[in-house]
Amino acid sequence: MSDREFAGKTAIVGIGSTDFARLYRTNDPERTGEALATEAIAAAIADAGLEKSQIDGLITGGLPHYEPVAYRTGLTDVRFVVDYPGAGRMCAMALMHAATAVHHGLADYVVLFNSVVFRSQGVKFGAQGQGLLYDTIYGMASPGAQYSLAFTRYQAEYGGTEEQLGAIPVAIRSHAQMTPRAIMQQEMSIDDYLAARYIAQPLRLFDYCLINDGAVAYVVTTAERARDLAHPPVLIAGTAGRANFREWYVDLGFWDDACGSMKADLFDPLGVTTDDIDCLQVYDNFSVSVLWGLEGFGFAPKGQGLEWVQNGRIALGGELPVNTSGGMLSESYLQGWNQHAEAVRQLRGEAGERQIPDCDWSLYWCLSALPGASLLCRDGLL
Amino acid sequence: MSDGGGYTKPLPTVSHEDREFWAAAREHRFVLPQCQTCGHVWFPPYASCPSCLAFDRGWTEASGRGTVWGFTIMRQPYIPSFEPELPYNVVLVELEEGPMVYSNLVGIDNDDIACGLAVEAVFEDATDEITLIKFRPV
Repeated sequence: MSDREFAGKTAIVGIGSTDFARLYRTNDPERTGEALATEAIAAAIADAGLEKSQIDGLITGGLPHYEPVAYRTGLTDVRFVVDYPGAGRMCAMALMHAATAVHHGLADYVVLFNSVVFRSQGVKFGAQGQGLLYDTIYGMASPGAQYSLAFTRYQAEYGGTEEQLGAIPVAIRSHAQMTPRAIMQQEMSIDDYLAARYIAQPLRLFDYCLINDGAVAYVVTTAERARDLAHPPVLIAGTAGRANFREWYVDLGFWDDACGSMKADLFDPLGVTTDDIDCLQVYDNFSVSVLWGLEGFGFAPKGQGLEWVQNGRIALGGELPVNTSGGMLSESYLQGWNQHAEAVRQLRGEAGERQIPDCDWSLYWCLSALPGASLLCRDGLL
Repeated sequence: MSDGGGYTKPLPTVSHEDREFWAAAREHRFVLPQCQTCGHVWFPPYASCPSCLAFDRGWTEASGRGTVWGFTIMRQPYIPSFEPELPYNVVLVELEEGPMVYSNLVGIDNDDIACGLAVEAVFEDATDEITLIKFRPV
C-alpha cells in the first residue's frame, strides 16, 4: 500500500516485547510460543492504554495455529483473524495487513505478534536446506550459505573486504550494549569479528543473526483513534512488498530490483527522499542484507556500500544509525518485529541513551525471497 | 563408486516431475526440460513450462558448459554426512542454456575457485540409481 490517501491514516499505538536477554539465559524445554505471545500482547495492549475488550482483530505469527493463543489471551471473539506462517520475512506483510484492516473498518484495534521458541526447541537453520534446486545433495545448507555465495559474487563485481563488512555487525553490536533486553552485550571490536570462525566462508559467526526465544506484539489502529491514546501515534506512512522467488534464494542483482520497486512505492507518493530518513531498522538476518539494502535503496552508491559503512556512519552518533537496539545480529532474532518496536521507540522519543535527536522517519526492509519494507513517521508529517 | 550401499549423503527424492532427468543422468547425459510449445528451457524439471504454462515438456541435451556465478566454502557441519568433507565448496553455476544449478566443483582447490570460472559437467555415480552432476574447470 503506498497511495497518498492511505499514508498516515493508520498508526502503531502499542508495542510489547519479552526480555530477550533473560530468556536467553535459560533454555527451557517447556517454554511455549503461546506463553511468550501472551506476555507480549499484554504488554502491547497496556502500552497503548487500551482495554483488552477493545481489541477486535488478531494477526498471529510464528505459531502453528492461532486458536491456542486466542484461548490464552481471551481474544476469542475478534472480528478479524489472519494467521501468518512462521517465516522471518512476514513482518512488513503483517503490518500491511493490519493497517489495511483498520483503514477499511474490518477491525478497530488489531493486535499482531510474532513469537518464536527457536533456542529452547533446539531449532537449527541448515540441514534441511531450502528443499529447492537439489541443494542438500550438494551440501548446500542454510540461508546463510546462500547469502555467503552471493557475497563472493558481490566481491568479484565490486571488490571490498571481509574486514570492511565487519563494520556492520560491529556497529550494531555497539547499539545492543545500550539495550538492556539485548542478548549480545559484550563489546565487539573488528579484531573480535575477524577472529571468529567462518560458518560459510566468507561469512563468519558474527555475520549471522542469533537463534533465540521471544515475542513482540503491536497494536494498530487508525491515526484518528490513535490521537486519543497513551502515546504520540507512530504513523504508518506506507508498506511495500515485492516478491523475489528464486530457487537459489538470493537475488543475482543483490535485490536492486526489489529495493527499487519498494522504494518507489514508499517514497514517491510522499515526496520522501533518502535524506529524510533518520534511522534504519532493518532485517539483518546476515550482515550483507544491510549492505545490499543500503545500495538498493540508494543510501550508498552502487558497489560502494562497504566503504560507505566505515568510520561509524551507521552507528549511533553517525549520519544514519542502523538497528539502534542491536537488530537480529545482537538484540534478538524476532524477524523484523524487534526492529519495528525500536522504530516506534525512536519516533516517540523514548529510546533513552539510544535516542536519535529529532527522529522523524524510520525505514525497514527485509531482503529475502519475499522482500518487504515499511516506512514509519511521527505524527504531523503527513 | 556405484556400490549402491555405501553412499550416505542426501539423495534426491525422485518424483514424476524429475524421473526422466535422473534417468538421463544415470546414463551420463545432462538434459534440461524444454517447452515444445514455446521453446523455453527451465530447471529444476517442473512438469509444466513456467513461461507459457503449457504441459508440453520435452528434453534438450545440455552442453554441460557454464560459468561459476558464485561460491561458498562450507565450514559448519550442518549435514552430518558431509562433515568428513569439511571444508567443501558449493557453487551456483549459470548454464550456457540459461538456468542456474547448484553443484560442487571437483578437480580444483577451494582456494582457486573464482566467480566467472568456466566449467563443464562431470558425472559422479552415487548409487545404482542416482548419478550426480558436478562440474570441473574447463
